[in-house]
Amino acid sequence: MIPVRYVPLVVKQIVRHRTRSLLTLAGVAIAMFLFAGVQAMQSGTKRATQTVAGETELVVYRKDRYCPFTSRMPQAYEERIARVPGVASVVPMKIVVNNCRTGLDVVTFRGVPDERFERAYESAFTLAAGSIADWKRRGDGALVGEALAARRRLRPGDRFDAAGITVTVAGILRSNQPEHRNVAYVHLDFLQRAGRRGVGVVTQFNVRVADPALLESVARAIDAEFARDADPTHTRSARAFVASAAADVVEIVAFTRWLGWGCLVAVLALVGNAIVMAVQDRIREHAVLQTLGFGSGLIARLILLESTLLAVGGGLIGSVLALAALRWGHFSLSVEGTSIPIDTDLGVIGWGLLCSVLLGAFAGAWPAWQASRREIVECFRAI
Amino acid sequence: MKWLPFEYAVRNLGRSRPRLAASVLGSALVVLLVLASSAFVRGMEHSLTLRGSHENVILLGAGSEDSVERSQVESGAGAVVAAAIPGIRSRLGVAYVSPEVHVALAVDVPAREPVGQSAATRTRPGAEPPAAPPTTALFRGVTPAAFLVHPQVRIVEGRAPRPAAGEVIVGGMAAARLGRAAAELAVGRALRVDGQDWTIVGRFEAPGTVMDAEIWCPLSDLQVATRRDSLSCVVLTLDNAEFADVDAFCKQRLDLELVALRESDYYAKLLDFYRPIRALVWATAALVALGGALGGLNTMYAAFASRVRELATLQTLGYSRRAIALSLTQEAVLATAAGALIAAALAVTALDGLAVRFSMGAFGLRVDATVIAIALLAGVALGVIGAIPPAWRCLRMPVPAALRAA
Repeated sequence: MIPVRYVPLVVKQIVRHRTRSLLTLAGVAIAMFLFAGVQAMQSGTKRATQTVAGETELVVYRKDRYCPFTSRMPQAYEERIARVPGVASVVPMKIVVNNCRTGLDVVTFRGVPDERFERAYESAFTLAAGSIADWKRRGDGALVGEALAARRRLRPGDRFDAAGITVTVAGILRSNQPEHRNVAYVHLDFLQRAGRRGVGVVTQFNVRVADPALLESVARAIDAEFARDADPTHTRSARAFVASAAADVVEIVAFTRWLGWGCLVAVLALVGNAIVMAVQDRIREHAVLQTLGFGSGLIARLILLESTLLAVGGGLIGSVLALAALRWGHFSLSVEGTSIPIDTDLGVIGWGLLCSVLLGAFAGAWPAWQASRREIVECFRAI
Repeated sequence: MKWLPFEYAVRNLGRSRPRLAASVLGSALVVLLVLASSAFVRGMEHSLTLRGSHENVILLGAGSEDSVERSQVESGAGAVVAAAIPGIRSRLGVAYVSPEVHVALAVDVPAREPVGQSAATRTRPGAEPPAAPPTTALFRGVTPAAFLVHPQVRIVEGRAPRPAAGEVIVGGMAAARLGRAAAELAVGRALRVDGQDWTIVGRFEAPGTVMDAEIWCPLSDLQVATRRDSLSCVVLTLDNAEFADVDAFCKQRLDLELVALRESDYYAKLLDFYRPIRALVWATAALVALGGALGGLNTMYAAFASRVRELATLQTLGYSRRAIALSLTQEAVLATAAGALIAAALAVTALDGLAVRFSMGAFGLRVDATVIAIALLAGVALGVIGAIPPAWRCLRMPVPAALRAA
């Protein structure tokens, strides 16, 4: 540890070379901004696609179909699914997206029957604005997820159109579940009539099981029920469904971890470079400090503190900026009607700071060790 | 004005080899990332721009102008259009009107069967375990007219698929789209879709277009397989007719619920849809380049600061500040340009043509003259931005003070 009285000395060393310190801080901030962005993508993907214990929701999709335009099943399947032992509720859904390609501004409409939707999802979200009663009253009413509402700057009463469908915003939904944040819930019959040959046809059924332990067995029972029908089904947990539908996005996001590692290496290089230069400049100064009685260990620790402060300063700036940008931007990657939010929380700042501390200490270790090993006479002769 | 010889800048580079190596490798890394980003964006743009022909008009279901995959058009619309609109191109009496179905389907590539096994015996749902999990690919159901309206498509191996025989032809980049080796999609191999095997009877190429990653099969076969009786779109090629004629037809025949778009406009819209993704890629590259420039600036500040006395001496010898600044800039630009050249060489050998699976298709990274020019400019810019501020800082010191500096 370093006695507190030496901290101002380290701060002065940083401030003394203002240009160098600012350049280093800016470089580290940029690298940590990118790192935090990558982390947000990774954690968003993980939250949206990893099956967790206690999950009770299944998605029944047309077998061998991944796109909402091609998964077409009779709505009449609903009654047969409801009769499967272990099924607590069934919500038929028709999905319409303006484009099923990967994009950052995809609008997903989910057509749902009002009563059953409200009963099945009342615990999944709260209303941030507007009212459910308005939604029920209006045939073209839409309950819009808050990420979509923020991205399109929508408020209750606004009309907007996408995919050839015009709706009126009746309410804004707030939810901690990613799948509700980037969609617009509309009435099932409205959405069915908006498309050709849509009446009586749905894209998927969202099924809740009575007990999480029954998830697998209920999924198998549903698929067995329709195995010999014209439209056989494939039933998976909701997160497994997102993982398979958005496989391409998941792959791209997995690839970005290399960018994250690159950012950390950049932080290491930037701080290391700055500290090596600082130590080079101060060889004689260190000799004076040694003459005044500073031990070599203390000098090494002063250098370590300097590099750590630079890394933490830059890391903090970068992480906070990333948090602000992601909160403001409400980004999400959508594909095939599923959505992966690029969202983050205060944890990303903590994670960024931890990385910064470790990298700062690591970057300063070599120059600190070198400085502590120099003889006083050698230092005076160095320049 | 007296200029410093170029050799002065060149020889100075060798004074600190570790610093030179750091500058060259650092700039190579930054430029490589800029190159990869540019190649990604150019590849995507190229595949969507080349695809759209100005003479082709695409008829989609009303309300589906953004995405052909969700469009639904009456099955007989192609024949109605061919008969009702005069001035559509034709050859030997065959109109350039192509009814098509576009659908994304999950595809398995079953392991190779023993030689001699017939196609008929292969149609056994679930008979063999797939070698890898299924991946989606875009299937296009076509009639022979498709080869008329899409002249970029050439069958380079095998033949066109025959209706009712369970046959397909695959694009040059379809294997990349499915994440498989090219040999797995060779002529004679099979694809399993929805439990049914399709035999690959040909391979086509449509270089630089989105079609290159598609799988084509007879229209009726795909309609049967996907249990749909509608089309996704009708593509036609104009001859004497103008786009306004087709547009007017769609507006008069409200019962068909059609919308006419120039094919080039449709793909321009699609390119526009990807704009946020491209912006994200560019922003990432710009941030990395900025980070690299800041690191370079830091290094240059230290490098030039240690030469303050030398620079003052040059001034006393009669060299102007501008001449010295130019020499220092040459020095930095030489190092970063060398890095840029290394990056360009790496990109041309390792990145060019590399298939990227992306959003219902695949395209090749494109390292062309524009991309190389952007990379070299980025390398030069890194050198100039990294050198001028530190050089200016050292040179603005009064000569006597600089000569006394430690």
